[in-house]
Amino acid sequence: MPHEAPSTIALVGNPNAGKTTLFNALTGSNQQVGNYSGVTVSLTAGETFTPHGKKLRVLDLPGCYSLRASSPDEQVTIDALEGRIPGHAKPDLVVCVADASNLERHLSLVLQVIERGFPCVLALNMVDAAEKSGLRLDPQKLSEELGIPVVPIQANAGKGIVQLKQALRHPFPNAAEPVWKTPDADPDASRQAFIRDLCALAARRPDVHQQTTSDRLDALLLHPIYGWIIFLGVMFVVFWAIFSFASVPMGWIESLQGLLAGWVENSMAEGDLRSLIVDGVIAGVGGVIIFLPQIILLFLFIGLLESSGYMARAAFLMDGVMARAGLSGKAFLPLFSSYACAIPGVMATRTIGSAKERLVTIFIAPWMSCSARLPVYFLIVPMLLHEQEGSWKQALVLFAIYALGTLTAFLVAKVLRKRLGPDAGSHFMLEMPPYRPPQWSYILRHVTDRSWSFVKNAGTLILGLSILLWALSTYPKHDGDDPSEALAHSAIGRIGAVIEPVVQPLGFDGRTGTAILTSFAAREVFNSSMAILFRVEETDDDVKTRSLIRDRVAAAKRPDGTPLFTPLSLISLLVFYIYALQCLPTSAVVAREAGSWKWAIGQFLFMSGFAYFASLAVYQTGRLLGF
Amino acid sequence: MRSLLAADLEIDSTMTLNQVAVGCDVTISMLSGPGCERLRDLGFCEQMRVRKLAGGRNLLCSVCGTRLAISRELAEQVLVSAVG
Repeated sequence: MPHEAPSTIALVGNPNAGKTTLFNALTGSNQQVGNYSGVTVSLTAGETFTPHGKKLRVLDLPGCYSLRASSPDEQVTIDALEGRIPGHAKPDLVVCVADASNLERHLSLVLQVIERGFPCVLALNMVDAAEKSGLRLDPQKLSEELGIPVVPIQANAGKGIVQLKQALRHPFPNAAEPVWKTPDADPDASRQAFIRDLCALAARRPDVHQQTTSDRLDALLLHPIYGWIIFLGVMFVVFWAIFSFASVPMGWIESLQGLLAGWVENSMAEGDLRSLIVDGVIAGVGGVIIFLPQIILLFLFIGLLESSGYMARAAFLMDGVMARAGLSGKAFLPLFSSYACAIPGVMATRTIGSAKERLVTIFIAPWMSCSARLPVYFLIVPMLLHEQEGSWKQALVLFAIYALGTLTAFLVAKVLRKRLGPDAGSHFMLEMPPYRPPQWSYILRHVTDRSWSFVKNAGTLILGLSILLWALSTYPKHDGDDPSEALAHSAIGRIGAVIEPVVQPLGFDGRTGTAILTSFAAREVFNSSMAILFRVEETDDDVKTRSLIRDRVAAAKRPDGTPLFTPLSLISLLVFYIYALQCLPTSAVVAREAGSWKWAIGQFLFMSGFAYFASLAVYQTGRLLGF
Repeated sequence: MRSLLAADLEIDSTMTLNQVAVGCDVTISMLSGPGCERLRDLGFCEQMRVRKLAGGRNLLCSVCGTRLAISRELAEQVLVSAVG
């Protein structure tokens, strides 16, 4: 039997029509689903089988309102339909996904797909909600008028999927005739007239405008006063929960780490290998893994906000604020996601229609303090306040850190936006999805994916750097008992001595400078470097490793006997970490999304330079003022 | 075909979406301006019924059961007439 390549089908529809939910129901894979347009920013491919066991390739395309390409993610959809994306075949069949309660709006795209001559099947999604709202649907009539198969489905409950697969059997239906097209009329107008008549026939609405639960919620949540109070409350709860709830599981990880180090110390003979495992691997990787609970919580909250539909409301509220920075409310989701991680944030900028606004948003996204900076903040802030972790004062300082980064980012955005000049014809428009209960299975999947990639990073990049750092701080060996002399003699001690003059004006010594240097590939490495550089001993009870680093660092003295870290130099260190762009993966994504390495390198140089000079200004001004 | 004069008269008797009071239902009579195409794609088409839910910097409207937010500049290009 000749081997036949599987046919390709593409899912096309307006944002929020439920393409990704259908894709997951068809292929069984778990893509992230947000109740917010623009969650699918690039196309995803999967496989499914017809009832006869024939394999089909399924493409999930970004949502779009028309085939006119007015934003990058719409261009992706058109390119995929035309078979212009390398590695993906031109689709043999297009499955148009439309929200059954919004046919007046969603059918326009369906007609455009038919006009382009694609064989087409229409999947009417969310029929349950449509019929509950009083809409009288007639799929049979729709099918007759459009000339294509129409299948009512309810993708989130898995209903109608089998029927849809039946419709995807070979031979595929022929391309339908666009009966609405008349040679001398405006195509937009004839499409509209056709849709109007069709909906009057096959999707009749109850006459009265119904006040839905979403309407009532919006009246409160978008209220000019209460809406803002609730918005600020939500944001506060998100940040507060991250910093307070996470401390319990963090304690567990710490004790586990202590137990592990103790066990290794007791069961191995003293030597370089034991030192490598305890001081290098366990201290280095453990110093980063400890932040897993916080990262899980942050992604959980973002998932919740997106999936429930509140994120679009936040964008609506924030539009006025963003306008002051020359951006629109659409920049809110990318920037808010960047608080978790700049990488998904930069990718989410694809929903921004204006190219200039998009570039500016990409440029400032890394200044939204991402979760990788948290380990560093958590190390420094308690030291600054001379207390243990978890007080409201620390939450306040943390809030100030986030505010400083964000405000500076907005200032830079404003300047940059002015320099790039205005662009015409792009205005704020956003669909407010109905409020939905969060889809827990997808949120959990999303959180697991993100956390796993964090752990993977700790297991590879950070493990490697920890071992390298351990080796650099151990060799060449020094004959003597004094550990500080041994460190000065080692390779890292020598590197530290070289870069000391560069970081001295910022208030740091060579060891801190070395730790900063090692954190340029990934910020969270700073903690493991500090642990290794300051020779924090492992203990076999559950004494907290981080507070050990803190004690060690706080007790460290300069050669002249003054403390190494004063409050001023700690602030200077914080400022440096707020502004520096120390994340290789981010730069790679920026280069891809902005379309040039020049933009990514410029951003890196600008941010690192800004961080250095901001730190310098803070430390030197503070010194002059007598701190 | 309607005469140009009739069309002009109709424009005179209509208002933009910005001028509509919050909570009112209106019918879109015409779209004119550079944002037309985008508005049509979103669902702001001629003869569609719209309810204005909130005004301000951006408007919030309900079009066939979906809430859409558009900027004032775009709303200025949507000419509407009262229902009925």
